[in-house]
Amino acid sequence: MSGIFNSEVTISDSGFLFDHGTGLTYSLNETGQFIFTKMKEEVHANKMLELIMEEFDINEETARKDIDDFYRQLKEAGLID
Amino acid sequence: MTEKRIYTKPTIIRHTVGVMNKYGRPPATVPMNRLVGYEVKELAAKYGSPLFVLNVQELREKYRDMTRAFKTRYPKAHIAYSYKTNYMKAVCSILHQEGAWAEVVSGFEYDIAKNLNVDGTKIIFNGPYKTRDELIRAFTEGSMVNIDNYDEMQLIEDIAEEMDKVLEVGIRVNMDLNNPPWHKFGFNMEAGHAFEAVKRAQASGKLKVVGLHIHAGTYIDDVSIYSKAAQGLVDFYTYIKAQLGVNLKYWDMGGGYASHNTLNWAWAPAEQTCPTYDQYAETICPILMNGPFSANNAPKLFIEPGRALVDEPISLITSVAAQKRLPSGARGIVLDAGMNILSSVQWYSYNFQTGQDSGFMVEDTVIYGGLCMNIDVLRQSASVPPVRRGDLLVIPHVGAYNISQSWQFIYLRPAVIAIDGGEIHVIKKAETREYVQEFEDVPDKFK
Repeated sequence: MSGIFNSEVTISDSGFLFDHGTGLTYSLNETGQFIFTKMKEEVHANKMLELIMEEFDINEETARKDIDDFYRQLKEAGLID
Repeated sequence: MTEKRIYTKPTIIRHTVGVMNKYGRPPATVPMNRLVGYEVKELAAKYGSPLFVLNVQELREKYRDMTRAFKTRYPKAHIAYSYKTNYMKAVCSILHQEGAWAEVVSGFEYDIAKNLNVDGTKIIFNGPYKTRDELIRAFTEGSMVNIDNYDEMQLIEDIAEEMDKVLEVGIRVNMDLNNPPWHKFGFNMEAGHAFEAVKRAQASGKLKVVGLHIHAGTYIDDVSIYSKAAQGLVDFYTYIKAQLGVNLKYWDMGGGYASHNTLNWAWAPAEQTCPTYDQYAETICPILMNGPFSANNAPKLFIEPGRALVDEPISLITSVAAQKRLPSGARGIVLDAGMNILSSVQWYSYNFQTGQDSGFMVEDTVIYGGLCMNIDVLRQSASVPPVRRGDLLVIPHVGAYNISQSWQFIYLRPAVIAIDGGEIHVIKKAETREYVQEFEDVPDKFK
């Protein structure tokens, strides 16, 4: 275990992600990379919405849905539980 | 305050192998935020989604370009538009404005043409099943009728007798051009049936053969098939002219010309494989020009394109209804348009382009139609950027067959708009429940 992640993950500045546990690799877009980096810093989901809205030009409703969906994508990829 | 960064939907995509083929990477998804000068978003908001959009100018230009390609190589060439590919009144009418004649394959289509004031002499009546009344109407109004079978020939002989005149007819022939061969229509040349048919018609004293019709197939991107068909017609005409004294007023190369849509089983995209109008014309016309006629009595040449004219000028705007992760790990999205209005998904791997900026990161996605039916899959795998419910996708090149073959099932069929010179015209309203049930009745005793 590595924090909230199921195994150790490394992410590059360009959004390239390596999952040490499975050997699988992923790409994240800019927004995904931002959230992922904050997750590594152990920012709680409740705080994430606030940070996204500070950083990006987006309304609350869309951002909330998208963050939920992104966590779901991470679960489906087996990166978090 | 510092400016905020541009937002795209947060996405993670797993890297997979096998997305390349021998022609390289699949094409990147290009957003199509505007159609014929209008914001896709605005069109969908005003006229609903799904929505068919016709680019009128593009349709006109395609007609002109195809006419130019054939007329410069065979001066007496003329387009008879294949109604079945899209017989919406406005579409046919625009093509008739440009000078197209009508190629119809049923009494219903014939009636559409007449209702648009197309003169009977500018209608070609094809197809394997024409009723007695339809044939009488066609001959009375001076249309060209291409005979498909002996039953029809006999029926037309009876009509000639009743009308007390010799009727001019065309004979539809077929030959081995494709695999499997198209033997359904007309009389086969290799088996000698075509010759027998012409001989029988001429010998009846009631019919005079003045036309030959061949149709090489559908979505033919191999022009050599047309060269075989054209050579077949020349050889056959030469033979029946010598043997039976037939003098043709017209020969008809039929349709089958392809459009820029990639077939499901094709390796290369249609942009690389679809011949141009000039390539088709350059294949067909020089062969026919070597036919058995002197320069001043060349038969008229008809071509009957449909798909090649109307496919590309029409796009479909559709919205994302849902997205899901499949057990295989692949992403799936559900659209508000199904195969009931996109029947050509049986043949085509359509492109799905986003109707808004969605970032450049794409993921292989299964695209489902909105019907509550498991077979309603619009594409098994397409590269689609992250989208959310309500986002728009544009499917270009959907003008042929989809509208005329659409079926009302589960959902009402959408509107069709035409954009021309900056103006939007609704050329078909979206269906209503009342329209769909107009001819139904519930007898009192069932209530």
